Amino acid sequence: MKPDVDRTLQLLAQSLLLELGPGLANDYAQKSALLAALLLSSAAEEWDRAAERRAEENRALRELFRAVTERGVEDAALRDRLDAAARATDASLRVSELERANAELRALLIELHAHVEEVATPDAREIEARIWDELRRSTERRRLSMQPF
Amino acid sequence: MIRPIEDMSSVQNPANPDLAASFARYVSHRVPEATDVRVLRLERIHGGASRETWRVHVAFDAGGELQERGFVLRRDPPGSLIETDRATEFLAYRAFQESAVPVPRALWLEEDPRWLARPFFVMEEVTGCESSPQALLAPPLAAHLEHVGEQKWRILGAIARTDPETAGLAARLEAVAPDACWQRELARWERVLDEDELCPQPIGRAAIRWLRRHPPPPAQRISVVHGDFRTGNFLVSPDGTIRAVLDWEMCHLGDPLEDLAWSLNRIWRWARDDRAGGLLPVPRAVAIWEEASGLRADPAALRWWELFASVKGLGIWVSSAKEFADGANHDPVLAFTGWWLTNSQDRAILETLGRLA
Repeated sequence: MKPDVDRTLQLLAQSLLLELGPGLANDYAQKSALLAALLLSSAAEEWDRAAERRAEENRALRELFRAVTERGVEDAALRDRLDAAARATDASLRVSELERANAELRALLIELHAHVEEVATPDAREIEARIWDELRRSTERRRLSMQPF
Repeated sequence: MIRPIEDMSSVQNPANPDLAASFARYVSHRVPEATDVRVLRLERIHGGASRETWRVHVAFDAGGELQERGFVLRRDPPGSLIETDRATEFLAYRAFQESAVPVPRALWLEEDPRWLARPFFVMEEVTGCESSPQALLAPPLAAHLEHVGEQKWRILGAIARTDPETAGLAARLEAVAPDACWQRELARWERVLDEDELCPQPIGRAAIRWLRRHPPPPAQRISVVHGDFRTGNFLVSPDGTIRAVLDWEMCHLGDPLEDLAWSLNRIWRWARDDRAGGLLPVPRAVAIWEEASGLRADPAALRWWELFASVKGLGIWVSSAKEFADGANHDPVLAFTGWWLTNSQDRAILETLGRLA
């Protein structure tokens, strides 16, 4: 698609922000247009990285699950699900498919995190540290340049 | 305030004639001495996605004298950021009238949908003020930031000091024991996440588990909790005076540290530095609040409530994203908060737990 999608969204955002928005009749409409422009700009930022960041995160979560199952997990049912998740791959690079897989992986991460918090071993603390590190990285992957923090 | 109309050149035709006509009929109903009631101006005010907010200027004849009156109308939207009780908000405004906590004068609470299709309440307009953080941080108000900050936490201390019984709120708001405040609020916002999240929230869930494992001490006293006391939710006049505290829709009884922690949350540090609310260094804000409230902000307890504030924030952003995605409310602020603030709030959680570095 030419012009590129992200460039198109950025130009639409500029137009809305600088030309169309200020011409609107009332304050509410102007501020709504401003917000819509900022959303378009964020969509442009997300467009280029959308598939990559999701695929990267899915790989990181599967790698984490693989490392955890190699160390051993007492809960057999959880261990089996972690093992199955670790063995899976993303068959499609469609963002919707990557997102669906990401939601499943992050739901499993919540279970794993809650489980290791209850285990008082050095291994559990190490896994917990890895989980927190992955959670921190997840916020870096999602970060938008205009977000406040 | 009722004042005679001096300059009719300022009159604008309302953009929403049906709502304008309906509101004029409602004013006629509420102000029996008014005749020939006309809406001169009807403008939607941006923000406040929990309710539609409209500025309405009305002219009428009162005993032969033409008068103009400014109102703010808060009407229930089809969908909202948070499911709130309009009566609670209205009662809170009423409770703090003529007190150390400045509020607009609350006039009428109307739950009969025959007037404006949805329930609403009406307040007197407070004129000539700004509320947006961006306006506060820019000239000329930027020169008054310290003064605004001092008032902000003094007012919050005054809210904490207010006796709910004397204010008439104890009988209207759900009672809670000092040692149960944290459990009730945490359960409330966990339920919001359970019901509204569009995708798993591993950081928020980890924070909830941490909060359960490390309960705070009982509340020093049961106070009125504003629920959303932050820069952006009060009106400031050009000389830097806070004229009105707004948005009481999440008002409840609870631990006053809840309000203090919410006001300090990283997400509201609009100047993108360490100043709480973009106004004052955190220790200064806490010291002012302690002096005004007569309470102590124990650091460990405050940390618990700061982490809780981020869970609550996450609940609000997740709900806003769901409202927008469901198509119930098309206000772009809902998508904006879902996109920008969810991840910021996650990072605030990591920071509070010492996991961001």
